[in-house]
Amino acid sequence: MTQTVKFAVKDLDFYYGDFKALEGICMEIHERGATALIGPSGCGKSTFLRCLNRMNDLIPSSHVSGEIFLGDQNIYAPDIDVVHLRRRVGMVFQKPNPFPKTIFENVAYGLRVNGYRNKAALREAVEKSLVDAALWDEVKDRLNASALGLSGGQQQRLCIARALAVRPEVLLMDEPASALDPIATQKIEDLIHELKQHYTIVIVTHNMQQAARVSDITAFFYMGRLIETGETETLFTRPQLKQTEDYITGRFG
Amino acid sequence: MERQNFHKELDHLKMTVYKMAASARKSLDNACKAYQERDDDLAQTIIDGDREINQIELDIDRQSLRLLALEQPMARDLRMIVGIMRISNDMERIADQCVNIAERTIFLCQHPPIEPVPAMDSLIGITRKMFFLAVNAFRDMDAQSAREIPAMDDEADEYTMQVLKGLIEDMASSSPGFEKRVLKMRRNIQTIIISRCLERIADLSTNIAEHVAFIAEGINIKHQNKQ
Repeated sequence: MTQTVKFAVKDLDFYYGDFKALEGICMEIHERGATALIGPSGCGKSTFLRCLNRMNDLIPSSHVSGEIFLGDQNIYAPDIDVVHLRRRVGMVFQKPNPFPKTIFENVAYGLRVNGYRNKAALREAVEKSLVDAALWDEVKDRLNASALGLSGGQQQRLCIARALAVRPEVLLMDEPASALDPIATQKIEDLIHELKQHYTIVIVTHNMQQAARVSDITAFFYMGRLIETGETETLFTRPQLKQTEDYITGRFG
Repeated sequence: MERQNFHKELDHLKMTVYKMAASARKSLDNACKAYQERDDDLAQTIIDGDREINQIELDIDRQSLRLLALEQPMARDLRMIVGIMRISNDMERIADQCVNIAERTIFLCQHPPIEPVPAMDSLIGITRKMFFLAVNAFRDMDAQSAREIPAMDDEADEYTMQVLKGLIEDMASSSPGFEKRVLKMRRNIQTIIISRCLERIADLSTNIAEHVAFIAEGINIKHQNKQ
């Protein structure tokens, strides 16, 4: 089965001021599947993730060279509408960050911004997003309650529902379960298994077992370079490079 | 994120495998010696010593399961633990075969020796060599040496066939008296069983070599020789 390339990253360098945080990254990320980015702290995996929807543009003095194609479009081309890009490439962060609004409004927010006015259609879209984020059954009777009253795990799934509401093509997840307890983490992992059937997911995680469980492809970063990428099962049982082996077996870090 | 404690425990697990290998090797050497020198006292020590090897197997199982459950090992470490569990199972079965040889030897020692079977000495030689090389390949994590062991199994099979053929021919030749013929058959059958035990030990040594290649390189070479 041939897989469609969603992202094609070519010779990507990224700088925070003078500091080169990413060097010569070349990588393809396939459509509909989960790609995990692993590596020790400071290796550049989160920086790379944020390059995929240009979240790093918000950091003063940062700059990038190289190309990242989303489909056939270079997302660093001068004429790119970054707001539109971030609609196509949604993001979920480490700490759940719901708006201080109702559960319904959290999910409806992006839809309203995108011009949804019909109440019935809006309600339907909110329900679908909450169902897709495996949260609907837990909140359907209290959609008008504050999102801040939800547990941490529920808040994170609400953030996923919020990201899904605008029908993105890609979902970036930056350690989405690291602030959650084991049961909430399990729910997020189960959700990733569901979502990857329909979306392209790129996940940064410090938890190697989590990367092994949820992803199809794993990429190992070290000191700003992409060291090895491959099928998750192969990378965790028979990595090609000693540096990868030493990291995943805990011989350095 | 160095996992020093885990690697210390993994080293301890490997040391337990070396201990088991040393015990199994002693059993094999003594079983062969007891058969060749018709030493029933030595044969009895193998039967008495089997319990210790069984205990080591249980200890390896316990340590391995603990590391799998608590440490969630990856890559070479994961292959090492899975490989060790398989190797210890094979070594325990080798020790059982040695007990079987010892029991037959005790029977043979109670009766006059059979006609010499030269292929038996060759079978003992190749079997001991295969186990010795397999254990060394594990100690050195030497996949190259491990890969050479399965080919020796054909030689062991050939010697086993020669033993079988020689002893069946001997049984077919006429001996004076019914009781003498029965005794000859009983001794020859016991010797054939010993040759089968040695042939199984050669097979199990091949298994160990295959596990070593899997641990070292992550490639399963099982059954390749037979395809």
